[in-house]
Amino acid sequence: MIEVKDLIKIYGTTTAVDRVTFSVPKGTILGLLGPNGAGKTTTMRVITTSLPPNGGKVSVAGYDVSEAPQEVRKRIGYLPEIPPIYGDMTIINYLKFVADIKEVPQDQKINRVGEVLEMLSLDDISRRLISHLSLGYRQRVGLAQALIHDPDVLILDEPTRGLDPKQILEIRKLIKSLSGRKTIILSTHILPEVASTCDNVVIIDQGKVVAADTVENLSQKLEGAKTLEVEVKGPAAEIKPAIEKVSGVSSVRVLGKESRGATKFEVVTDGSNESREALFNCVVKNKWVLYQLSPVGMSLEDVFLKLTTKESAA
Amino acid sequence: MNARKIVALVKKDLTQYFASPMGYLVLAVYFLVGGFFFWLIAVQSRNASMIPVFQNTIILLLFITPMITMRLWSEEEKSGTAELLCTSPLTLWDIVVAKYLAAMAFFGAMLASTLVYLIVMLSVGNPDLGPVVANYLGYILAAGAFFSLGLLASTLSENQIVSAVIAYGMLLMLWVIGAAGGNVQGPLGDFLKYISVFEHLDDFFKGVLDLTHVFYFLSIIFVGLFLSVKVLESKRT
Repeated sequence: MIEVKDLIKIYGTTTAVDRVTFSVPKGTILGLLGPNGAGKTTTMRVITTSLPPNGGKVSVAGYDVSEAPQEVRKRIGYLPEIPPIYGDMTIINYLKFVADIKEVPQDQKINRVGEVLEMLSLDDISRRLISHLSLGYRQRVGLAQALIHDPDVLILDEPTRGLDPKQILEIRKLIKSLSGRKTIILSTHILPEVASTCDNVVIIDQGKVVAADTVENLSQKLEGAKTLEVEVKGPAAEIKPAIEKVSGVSSVRVLGKESRGATKFEVVTDGSNESREALFNCVVKNKWVLYQLSPVGMSLEDVFLKLTTKESAA
Repeated sequence: MNARKIVALVKKDLTQYFASPMGYLVLAVYFLVGGFFFWLIAVQSRNASMIPVFQNTIILLLFITPMITMRLWSEEEKSGTAELLCTSPLTLWDIVVAKYLAAMAFFGAMLASTLVYLIVMLSVGNPDLGPVVANYLGYILAAGAFFSLGLLASTLSENQIVSAVIAYGMLLMLWVIGAAGGNVQGPLGDFLKYISVFEHLDDFFKGVLDLTHVFYFLSIIFVGLFLSVKVLESKRT
């Protein structure tokens, strides 16, 4: 549905986006992740035809953003970084205005405005001036604006910014409920947001894609070899060389002594179940006691930090 | 160009004019000063003509125009709503023309107040209506040219004050350039005089309808709108 290929965007002398490539299949949600200034917003602005690309090809629903921007615009709902709202309009008049410029059929306009108001629970305050609203409500009006013409594609730049925890959950639920019917790209700093709402994730840093995969694969793949945390009671000096000899184990590191006379090790294995069994058998054979044998999964946060810090150190 | 979208955009900008005290303030000043000149010149001199009102309020318009046009684009850029307009199925011409029409509609409200003077004149005097039509046409065309340049100034900065200052610069230039032309000999002097608004406005105020003058104002309007579109285009690269 959305194809970004070798996208380059240059501001003056800085390359904000450098050969970014990814695609979003129809009906899926892509999380665009990256530190501030990584090029997330720029990428989104190119996809929404707000900025023309300096190189590469970007297409939405088969329409190229440079060649057929009007066709792309009709199919896209966009919530920019700052919600594009007019303070001196009421919510309902604002949404009617957006419906007009987004070509919502005249006879469906009133219905559609009502639906969107309800969807974002704005119906009670629809006649309030937008300038009198709190940040969270403004953000919701911004989302309402992006949904008003029922677009196939939604581009949401930090959709939960400025919301309180309850509102964040509501918005995430709303976004999740749109999956399948709509193709969505959302950018965020909040990692659990990606884990809870997105199907796929693309991590960008300094204008380059550093990782792109499904949320589960990414955290698994980046662990490389499987890391286990093993806690064994017994003579520490004997245990370490014994574990090192177990097949499938590549390295062992002592993490520290525990109070109950056990020692904690970090064991890196090839990730197979056989190596875990062998590890267990080795402990039993030596008549030591196994307190713990658990895989250390890397959270998305670890992956994110690992990827982006590695990049800037290089 | 799609009429529904243009109407929606014009309506939005017009609502915004009347959502702030600025719109009412500008109207009030215009009514007050226009009424004062009408009373002072037309009523006191017992001359049944719109010329004195127009001749004086056109100067006022020179000063009021930037206040009306400064927010047209600057505000959109500053509040981030430019992003909404530029990612909606609208062309830059749609946006620019709608902004221009909104400003002109606001001017229409100002102009409506002058009808009061006309009605007073018709009821107590016997003005020659031919020249009055020419007066109105010249006045509207001149305002059209001012607003077009004001809109151009607004596209140049996201700061409303800066936009207003640019507009003042451009309009005062058009005003004084004729006087400068009087001091310069040869083709350059003729050119400067040709550019000046007031050279062209005089004939309208004399009641003469000359198409070259109409053409002059229409070209300024077009150039202002065209350059506005080009400026917006260049911003999105």
